[in-house]
Amino acid sequence: MAALTLDGVSKRYGDFQAVKDLSFQVRKGAICGFLGPNGAGKTSTIRMILGLQSASAGTIDILGASDGRKVRDRIGFLPEERGLYKKMTPVEAIAFFGSLKGLPASEGKRRAREMLIAQGLGASQKKKMKELSKGMAQKVQLIASVVHRPEFVILDEPFSGLDPVNQQGLETVIRDLAANGATVLFSTHVMQHAERLCDQVVLMARGRKAFDGTVTEARATSRRFLELEGEISTEAVAALPGVTGVEVVSDNGGVRVLKGALASGARGQEALKTAFISGLDVRRFELKEPTLHDAFISLTGDHPDEDQSVARPASTPEIAR
Amino acid sequence: MNRILLIAQREFMAYAKTVGFWLSLLALPLFGVLGGAVPMLVRGADPIRAVVLIEEGPAATGLAAAVKNVLEADTERQAERTREAAEKAAAASGAPPGAAESAIASIGRQRMRFVDAPADLSVAAPGAAQDAVVRRYLTDDTPKDQRLDAVVFLTRTPEGPAARVWAARATDDTVEDFVRRALRDENRDTVLREAGIDRGVVERVDDFRPEINVFSPRSAGDGEVSFKDRLPGIIGLGFSFVLWSLIITGASILLNSVMEEKSNKILEVLLSSASATEILTGKVLGVAMLTLSVLVVWGGIGAVGLITAAPSTAADVASVLMADGLIFYFIGYMVGGYLMYAVLFAAIGAFCETPRDAQTLMGPIMMVLVVPLLVVQMALVNPDAPAVKFLSWVPFFTPFLMSARAPSGPPLIEIIGTMAGMFAVALLMVWLAGRAFRAGALSDVKLSWKSFGQAISGGGR
Repeated sequence: MAALTLDGVSKRYGDFQAVKDLSFQVRKGAICGFLGPNGAGKTSTIRMILGLQSASAGTIDILGASDGRKVRDRIGFLPEERGLYKKMTPVEAIAFFGSLKGLPASEGKRRAREMLIAQGLGASQKKKMKELSKGMAQKVQLIASVVHRPEFVILDEPFSGLDPVNQQGLETVIRDLAANGATVLFSTHVMQHAERLCDQVVLMARGRKAFDGTVTEARATSRRFLELEGEISTEAVAALPGVTGVEVVSDNGGVRVLKGALASGARGQEALKTAFISGLDVRRFELKEPTLHDAFISLTGDHPDEDQSVARPASTPEIAR
Repeated sequence: MNRILLIAQREFMAYAKTVGFWLSLLALPLFGVLGGAVPMLVRGADPIRAVVLIEEGPAATGLAAAVKNVLEADTERQAERTREAAEKAAAASGAPPGAAESAIASIGRQRMRFVDAPADLSVAAPGAAQDAVVRRYLTDDTPKDQRLDAVVFLTRTPEGPAARVWAARATDDTVEDFVRRALRDENRDTVLREAGIDRGVVERVDDFRPEINVFSPRSAGDGEVSFKDRLPGIIGLGFSFVLWSLIITGASILLNSVMEEKSNKILEVLLSSASATEILTGKVLGVAMLTLSVLVVWGGIGAVGLITAAPSTAADVASVLMADGLIFYFIGYMVGGYLMYAVLFAAIGAFCETPRDAQTLMGPIMMVLVVPLLVVQMALVNPDAPAVKFLSWVPFFTPFLMSARAPSGPPLIEIIGTMAGMFAVALLMVWLAGRAFRAGALSDVKLSWKSFGQAISGGGR
């Protein structure tokens, strides 16, 4: 059963088309990665799902409601740009945002203490927010967004600004949320997180959906490739069966690393066998599966780290319903 | 509703916990006390100067006595005025006359006394030797109990009496001013005497103070205008200024609060938890509670002070406020005025992260806000002046100008009409500001008249 359904959703700011004809579903309890470069339309889509902005066209159904605002108490949201009241303590801040979601203040404070301890912030409970490090503050904000135990959690670029240790901790939190029955939708432009976490990925590029499916399905859209190292020429590798698009990765005094894509249906072993028979000086041979990053490039022709927000006009204030 | 109260409570507590809030709470009473006490303290701390008068030559004979007579006359006149002022104050306030008299007397006491010249100064030969003795008596070279504050040498020139004043402090012109006035009086007396006019005639002319009684058909009682009749106008003017100050303070607090939330990226989180209307209403309510607290504390302290010091004036103030429901007009103007400006400032804040961002709109708005301050003083003297009447109908000025005019009993149609206009505009502002607030909170565009207008009109939807 779908927790979220978008059907033909578009968003226009004046002359700028931020999101165009976007449709996808997220089933209940799934972890869905909402992927794409900056400016691909992820934040606009999230704001439309939450009901903070109205869609120019199309319909959205979240937790059975046509407007995210009607079910806001059942949704947890961590925005891309984060901040909390600097003079509050973490417990006060978490309890305040919990109470806005209908959680009694005393219960909010109890859960806040419990979750802060679980996240290694037990010693910082009574400090002011302004005294916490950026990583600590982000953890507090994440707790504030899920303290009311929402059914649907939306995290906008939750990994940005976190060090590797905290990123790993956040991955655990997301898995735990899903294990407890929550549906999680998170946006990111870093594909590795999605590869490790997601049951489903939706790839966005220039406001349009480029792909919707599992990580495995996404990878399958891209070809496997070979990597060979030795005193070998580009032409010799290109002559191997099923190998196309050979390029030099590195050249160290004649010892080169070459990379070539495997044509659909071609077998790496055949190419290796031919290389030995041909007497090529192959010192290393590696058959590589495509990553989500490769899949994204293959599907969109764009790079996930590039910024696609340059075309967005800065003079168009947005107004919700 | 619960969310509105939660946001209002947070807003209230965020400011109530700051030192600035408590300082502003105590500022007015503190300045009131300081404003009244400081002049008295300064006067009380001002030493009584020891002054020596020396007549130089036979031609100057009588000048010292004339100067002393002026001081005595001043003292008598001051005592008379003190008595009169104390009687009037006691009659107006209901306080015992003794308290007012001692307070007024402390302000009006004389600031110098004449002492005999020390022997060595009397016998010193005019010139450098005499100057040396004078210098010694005016400086620390002389023991404190024998030290002088000024030495005045009086002479008579063909043009009239003249003086040479030696003062211990170069910046202290108290003795100089007094001597100048005394010699001018002496010269006038001499000139009039030589013209055959008796001194007694001059004094009678000088002392004449015509008794003027003011009557007005709007005065209570027998038609004679008293302080009680002027009290409503004073209360209206005072309330208008207090209202202006509270509205600007409250609206500025809101502006800064929203700007802080915008710059700290809290607004988007709030918007995912509550509607823009709930956030705006909660914030406006929270700051209203804050300004109301200040008003209650200031009003409470003022009331206690007035009841204690001047019970009859306190009773008059109370009767003026209750007469014809004036207090309810004031409350109405306060609510309407605060709503209009608070939501406007909050909406502007939603577009800004720093006060500099807000300058584009705040500059012109503050200039407009100065207008009622200038006009309101005219309303005290002539509440029915065409300019005052016309501007009262401008909803943004209504709260301030009608507060000042209301005690003078303007036509009912004007009261109802201006109040209806003010509340209509206030509601329109709430609606427009709600749209602008929502748009500004999620927008990263810089504030300008164009972007603000687009947000209000729903541009970019």
